[in-house]
Amino acid sequence: MPYGSPGHADELSEELIARWNDVIVTTAESLASFKTRFFELDPAKLRDPELSDAVKWPGDPAAPTFCVDEPTVRALCDWPEIGRRSVQLEYCECAVINARDAGGRLRPKRVEVTTELREYWSCIAMHDPDRVRAMAADVLGREPDWEELFGVADPHPLSPEQREIAFGHTVGGHGNNQRLIDAGVPAQPTGRLNIDHALFMTHPINGLDDFLYVVMFGSHPYGVRAGSQIRQATGDDIYTAKEVKHLSCNHADPTITLGAYDNAFAGRQTGFADPIGMYIRVPNLDVFFYGDDPIPPEWARFGRGRASMYQRLVFGPPDDHEAFLDDITVSVGASDQPLTGGYQLLRELEVGLRLLVGHTDPIAESEWELLEPAPAPIACDTDDACATVRELARRLEAEQSGRSALRTL
Amino acid sequence: MTLQEGIYHAPGKRPGRFFALLFLRAAPGVTAPQVADALAGLWQMYGGLKAGQVRDLDGVVLPHDEDALTVLLGFGRNAFELSGTALPRPRGLGDEYLFRSADPSGGGLLLRGSGLRYGADVRANMATEAFCVQAIAETKLATDRVVVETWKALADHVNPELGAAPLQLTTFYLGFQRNDHRSWIDFHDGLSNLRSADREDVIAIAAGADQAWAVGGTYLAFLRLAVDLPGWRRLSRRDQELAVGRDKLSGCPIVEVDGERLVTDPGCPVAGTQIWESPNDAPFAEPPQTDDTLVRRSHVQRANHHQRPASDSGSRRIFRQGYEFLEWSAGAPGFSAGLNFVSFQDTPERLLRMLTAGGWLGGTNFGGDEEHLPELAGLLSVYGAGVYFMPPVTEGERFPGAAALGG
Repeated sequence: MPYGSPGHADELSEELIARWNDVIVTTAESLASFKTRFFELDPAKLRDPELSDAVKWPGDPAAPTFCVDEPTVRALCDWPEIGRRSVQLEYCECAVINARDAGGRLRPKRVEVTTELREYWSCIAMHDPDRVRAMAADVLGREPDWEELFGVADPHPLSPEQREIAFGHTVGGHGNNQRLIDAGVPAQPTGRLNIDHALFMTHPINGLDDFLYVVMFGSHPYGVRAGSQIRQATGDDIYTAKEVKHLSCNHADPTITLGAYDNAFAGRQTGFADPIGMYIRVPNLDVFFYGDDPIPPEWARFGRGRASMYQRLVFGPPDDHEAFLDDITVSVGASDQPLTGGYQLLRELEVGLRLLVGHTDPIAESEWELLEPAPAPIACDTDDACATVRELARRLEAEQSGRSALRTL
Repeated sequence: MTLQEGIYHAPGKRPGRFFALLFLRAAPGVTAPQVADALAGLWQMYGGLKAGQVRDLDGVVLPHDEDALTVLLGFGRNAFELSGTALPRPRGLGDEYLFRSADPSGGGLLLRGSGLRYGADVRANMATEAFCVQAIAETKLATDRVVVETWKALADHVNPELGAAPLQLTTFYLGFQRNDHRSWIDFHDGLSNLRSADREDVIAIAAGADQAWAVGGTYLAFLRLAVDLPGWRRLSRRDQELAVGRDKLSGCPIVEVDGERLVTDPGCPVAGTQIWESPNDAPFAEPPQTDDTLVRRSHVQRANHHQRPASDSGSRRIFRQGYEFLEWSAGAPGFSAGLNFVSFQDTPERLLRMLTAGGWLGGTNFGGDEEHLPELAGLLSVYGAGVYFMPPVTEGERFPGAAALGG
């Protein structure tokens, strides 16, 4: 400690760094019941730590694929506003920017992808409104009004707590933060700025508390008795025994928990490399074409972080170029498909953590947390697991067929 | 519903030493039920071969105990173009899960975003037919016999309405296993294949992941990869080891580059043992994570990013079951040597993304310093590529997947 700004994207004052680290520590302390000696929040306390970037996963939503067919998953993910707030649950959110072509037709122009943490932006907004406006300006290419960020003409007279609430209302949502919920902040922002754009992640389960939880949850010496031996537990064993089967049905959570658990089982500690954050791995841009040529490199603009720590990708032609997003083709297997939304791009991306793995004492006999073996594999396609997705699919179908015009969730 | 035989994923099971992969084309105008009848006949014939019975030797039982013949039937995309098909095409046979065709003039990319290309003399990919049959056995005769007996059975099954057999044997590829755990480039191969505990999760299609009737089945991906051995042998041992990511002699994974020295774990392998033997298999067979950028470019590091859980297609883990080949070829060196790459997975997406994704094998032919070593950029050439759905065994069916053909 202390951790720098995520991705080292911002040069912060010592005061802001301290506030951000307060958020991290407070969040970890709220999860103290999951803490074992196989997790260490302070990287300085890890013994001979080695950096690992193996904990990564595809950015496209996995859970809906068990419930509906792939075209429907794609349609759900790309459903304006609703897709982002309902199925983009892999610590990676996107928004499609539309523009009118020469014929006046509204078409997708670019996709904005973000893995930035709501808690970080909220922290900066609380303590330094000017800084958060500068961050937004850097992302948007224009300086937003205060109203767009805080819903008020000037946030400076507000207390930090009032700014947090105002910012949550306008661009952040409540992030499952009980104080914000009690203050009436909705789950999703009411202002357009972080809906029309992907400024940072807003889904309540794409938060700092969630990935701290899954890392800490995985950092346990779980085992399953097998005769006179103790074998390594499977994901099914762990999620079934701990009654968190839902964790097994997306890409991110099982990858994170089992990555941390592998370390614990080997008698190693897991921690976070500085800075804590969710990072986008650079994809193979050779699968994207404009005409017969690879897309120009400047059509994939990574940002909000140093190399290997990008938290933002803006993908598509610039405003002054005649091309639109759907003029780009993405080559998948034997097919070349027009790029029509964010889902296809998310499928090409990997998102992940940067972990540190340190040495520690071996697991003592008394430390094992023995689990019952899972009686059956976890099914992700049950009616219960799929209820939300299938209902969304029905609503989408109804909207698309004009039978209904539901606009909100 | 269970996986068919011929996928040697169970602990302690080793595939037989010989391999044949046959490709069957449906005749123009043939219907799915007509094809089903032909396949039922083939399936019955294969059962007979396992019991030592051959079509033209009525009443004779040939030696067969040592054969340990297994036969695996696969459906290609074209099978679901037949009229009368009764079940929907499995998702993994959609265009986005298949390999690209070779250029009509020869060559061409296997996949956009991959560094694998068809051989310059490949004008048509012969591994994309309606059906494939994999035969594995402990004797070469047993796999060779599958080829000949398949031809016999199809030749004898002329449909009077069509005036032709519903299915034709268009091509086949043969292969063999090596007992030295190495490949033609002399390095160890197949060491970091999946742990037994993870295999079924990777191979078998889970409920909800595909068409309902496909659950319990799997996908076979096949690549006939020829190796440019003259080019490979022009490389120094160091360049070869950096390309593979293992020590050439011991097979131990390279963990870092220290100047000119390629560093392996000093404990690998345990004295008096080979890399593939216990106790090396657990700690050393799978290359460890490394920060070393040179090592990360190697083949073994690109192909396996150690992601968990293996059951998630995002881990891009696959179950490999490859066989070497050697055949005569015009021009130097007078033969073609290579690998019949075979993998099984619950979705072909695992393999396709492994071959195209950044940081994985995307943009590379094999691995290593391809930018400066043209021998590596052209090391492998594709001579056949296909993706097939292998239906599960369902009780009461005449052959796996019979219901899909209305038969």
